[in-house]
Amino acid sequence: MKKILFALLMASLLLVTCTRREGKLTFMVGGAPSEVEFWEKLTESFKEETGIPVDLIRQPTDTDQRRQGLVIPLKSKQKDPDLFLMDVVWIGQFAASKWLQPLDGYIRREGFLLEPFFGRVLESADRYNGKLIALPVYVDGGLLYYRRDLLQRFGYRAPPRSWPELVRCAVKIQTTLRRENPNFWGFGWQGAQYEGLVCNFLEFAASNGGGFTTQEGKLCLNLPENIEALEFIVDLIHRYKISPPNTYTEMKEEEVRSLFQSGNALFERNWPYAWSLHQSGGSAVKGKVGIAPLPGFAGKPGASALGGWHIGISRYSDAPAQAWEFVKFVTSYKVQKELVVGLGWNPGRVDIYDDQEVRGKIPHLQALKGVFQTTVSRPNLPYYPQISEVIQRWVNRALAGKIGAKEALDKAQKEAEKVVRAYE
Amino acid sequence: MREERTKLLLTWLGLSFMVIFCLTPFFFMIMVSLSKDPTFLSLQKVKYLLTLRNYIHILRAGSLHFPAYLRNSLIISALVAIFATFVAGLAAYAFSRYRFPGRVLIPLGVLGISMFPQISVVGYLFKIMTGLGWINTYNALIFPYIAWALPLALWIVLSYFMQIPQELDRAALVDGASRFQTLYKIIFPLALPGLFSTALLVFIFSFNEFLFALMLTTDQAARTIPVGIALFQGLHGEIPWGHIMAASTISSIPLVLLTVGFQRYIIQDLTKGALKG
Amino acid sequence: MNQGLKAKGLWGIYGFILPLFLFIFGFILFPVVGTFWTSLFRDVAFLPKRFLGLANYIRLLKDPNFWRSARFTLLFTFGSVALEVALGTIFALLLNEKLPLRGWLRAAVLIPWAIPIAISARVWELGYNYNYGLANYLFLKLGICSGPINWLGSGTGAFLSLLLADIWKTTPFVTIILLAGLQAIPEELYQQAKVDGTNFYQRFIKITLPLLRPVLLVAILFRTIDALRIFDLVYVLTHGGPGGMTTSLSLYGYKFFLSSDFGYGSAVSVACFLIAFSLSILYLRVGKFGRN
Repeated sequence: MKKILFALLMASLLLVTCTRREGKLTFMVGGAPSEVEFWEKLTESFKEETGIPVDLIRQPTDTDQRRQGLVIPLKSKQKDPDLFLMDVVWIGQFAASKWLQPLDGYIRREGFLLEPFFGRVLESADRYNGKLIALPVYVDGGLLYYRRDLLQRFGYRAPPRSWPELVRCAVKIQTTLRRENPNFWGFGWQGAQYEGLVCNFLEFAASNGGGFTTQEGKLCLNLPENIEALEFIVDLIHRYKISPPNTYTEMKEEEVRSLFQSGNALFERNWPYAWSLHQSGGSAVKGKVGIAPLPGFAGKPGASALGGWHIGISRYSDAPAQAWEFVKFVTSYKVQKELVVGLGWNPGRVDIYDDQEVRGKIPHLQALKGVFQTTVSRPNLPYYPQISEVIQRWVNRALAGKIGAKEALDKAQKEAEKVVRAYE
Repeated sequence: MREERTKLLLTWLGLSFMVIFCLTPFFFMIMVSLSKDPTFLSLQKVKYLLTLRNYIHILRAGSLHFPAYLRNSLIISALVAIFATFVAGLAAYAFSRYRFPGRVLIPLGVLGISMFPQISVVGYLFKIMTGLGWINTYNALIFPYIAWALPLALWIVLSYFMQIPQELDRAALVDGASRFQTLYKIIFPLALPGLFSTALLVFIFSFNEFLFALMLTTDQAARTIPVGIALFQGLHGEIPWGHIMAASTISSIPLVLLTVGFQRYIIQDLTKGALKG
Repeated sequence: MNQGLKAKGLWGIYGFILPLFLFIFGFILFPVVGTFWTSLFRDVAFLPKRFLGLANYIRLLKDPNFWRSARFTLLFTFGSVALEVALGTIFALLLNEKLPLRGWLRAAVLIPWAIPIAISARVWELGYNYNYGLANYLFLKLGICSGPINWLGSGTGAFLSLLLADIWKTTPFVTIILLAGLQAIPEELYQQAKVDGTNFYQRFIKITLPLLRPVLLVAILFRTIDALRIFDLVYVLTHGGPGGMTTSLSLYGYKFFLSSDFGYGSAVSVACFLIAFSLSILYLRVGKFGRN
């Protein structure tokens, strides 16, 4: 009897070892279906070129769930995944927790060039304690999408350069169009309680001269400029009524894109990925869309929040040298060009933006280059997720009309200070 | 007479409500899993078309790893059921047959332990498993599950063993059998229905467990069904409800069959556990 | 009955109990102590480890989110248990009647219990969907309200949604236990009472409830402690939202583990443990009292 049990226990342990993936590179990706298809093709061509097989681990679309899916294997020092994509805001946490392989060694040894990448992005996001621990795969910045046809119809020559201008324009056009289409809204943006809200709020705040840090670099959420900006976006929903009431309950990237793409919005704040989808077959707004930098408040320049995904190598990887080969492959000119042309994403390499073929296919990329060189970043702190959660909660409450803008930001600041004290 | 009639009416109304209450979500799940478009209840008229496509997709799509989750859940639950029942049987034999200090307090203490919230254990368990290198392996789940199932298993097996008269033991011992042989050859066969139903309950518990599986596994090498379905996101911005419901239905089938098939045993066990307390 | 044979050779019987001890010590008691220990440190992935003493607990006491979680958890527990017991009593009374298809009815009642919470939570998630969920469909068809309700979008809505999903899952358990208790009540008592001319209500109050009391107490206490540690349902159905309003204590602790702040997460876990532990002591006291 005991022997049978012992055998069973051994068998179960054997089962355990059998299910390990030995020696292959594993790469964690997530996101929309087109993205995953792209990675599948890419890993196949990588295997053809170098003979190294890469296993894809697919993650959910939601960025927070993707982070959670990485924290556990990294914290438990797993050999898999070897490679993964990181949202630009996690890099601080991952780097400070010493989960990333420094890349400087490889860069120096092979004379890998860093010039082709967006310097600003590299310095603000990919460096930790002087070491380079990630490389940008694609960059993102918030943009203003607008219905060129509607602006023309109502006699506007160009998209608005300031927020008050945008409001006037949207109110006018919305009032008229509502008569035929009761579902029409002036301005769609992401106000649900999630990370995207922080990007939106940062853009509004920074375009008023505010932001999340003081001149000295201290975390400060309740700057007077921020309060004004928050009051403004609360008004967008409740006073001017050009943004729908589910802005603060449901509106994330896809929901806003749906609203605009079905022809029910005049202006949209979204990431560059929406462009190719707006122009796809079946889109009600194909050929009618224009993009522009986000407006600012009177007399001040607009601001675009830096987003994007970077690639890093796990410190516990059992094949770091091969992983580095893959990193080089993904950030190579050839692959980055495919990224632009195939997915409509914005490469982390600046030199692509000057490529003739690319300029021909995606003319607006030139405008984006300027945007990416002047983005505003969310704080690159290891405990950023906790700060983000605080911001999300209080700003969303203000948007819901449950609390005043000043009170919301003051309370957020107090809570954020507690977090800083706990983690510094 | 009037009272009888109103009582009958109320009873039938009550039973109808009860059945509708208990079964509606279950049938809703099945209906959506067989529907081409899960939004058939929306305000825009969406037709309901019967299809098996959802089932085919989740069983075929390699990147969803659904068959792997199912396999993991079944194997882990089965192993835990067997081992936990066995360990509980060993201990229950001692508690039911022998006098020694702690004979009463230990089972009570063990029952108290079953009240611990999983969260108070899982954090440090994660560190232990990391240290052992067991994260994302079957072991990471099997050992904690056995420990966690033991309190309930012990009480149920104990209540069955206590019904077996000790004269049988004495007879066997007089014949020269060792204590372990007594247990193995005499007690186990007599208590087999009880052991079986204990194993059943432990199986159901292990299959349903969520928090440990969420934190101690990272991918399809060891991940179980509840976590797999909870995190089921699919590839689209919209949640693929059809697929999720198909996966849910398949996952529920073994449990529903076991429960309905062996309901007598299960009910006996649950009530024993409660009435004893 | 349990005169028990004398233990022949200590290692003999202790050998039988040893595996039990090893598992429980190794994978339950040891981790619990370990959690206590971890909560005394600053254990964050990106900061050097440091002994903090009770500092995490002071932070806990001053943490409004912790209190909000505690409030939600307690409110949810008591609400859920009250409703389950009420509904469970009704169902048990119904099943106690001499009915045809009794086995099938019992099977129907067991189905919610059989389905894993994580799975049924997703079914409820779809059921509560704003645009195409079953709840709004029924409410609109039955004319209960004029427009769709955003169940999971408000604090109250999410709370009620969770409550319904939970009592759906747990009422079967309470029903089965109460049914056993009901079946233990001798039929003669009812016959005698009927002869004495009482009606159903009086019989219920005077006979059923008092005799059912010990079983009710067991069910209530067991379910209360179980409901306090709720995690699965909240994680899947509402993710603790909206705005953290339905974050149970367990979920709150888990979130810190995910942010790799094991120190503070352990403190939250310990708090949750202490609440459950005090109640389990109460349970044992009542259990002993019930036996006597």
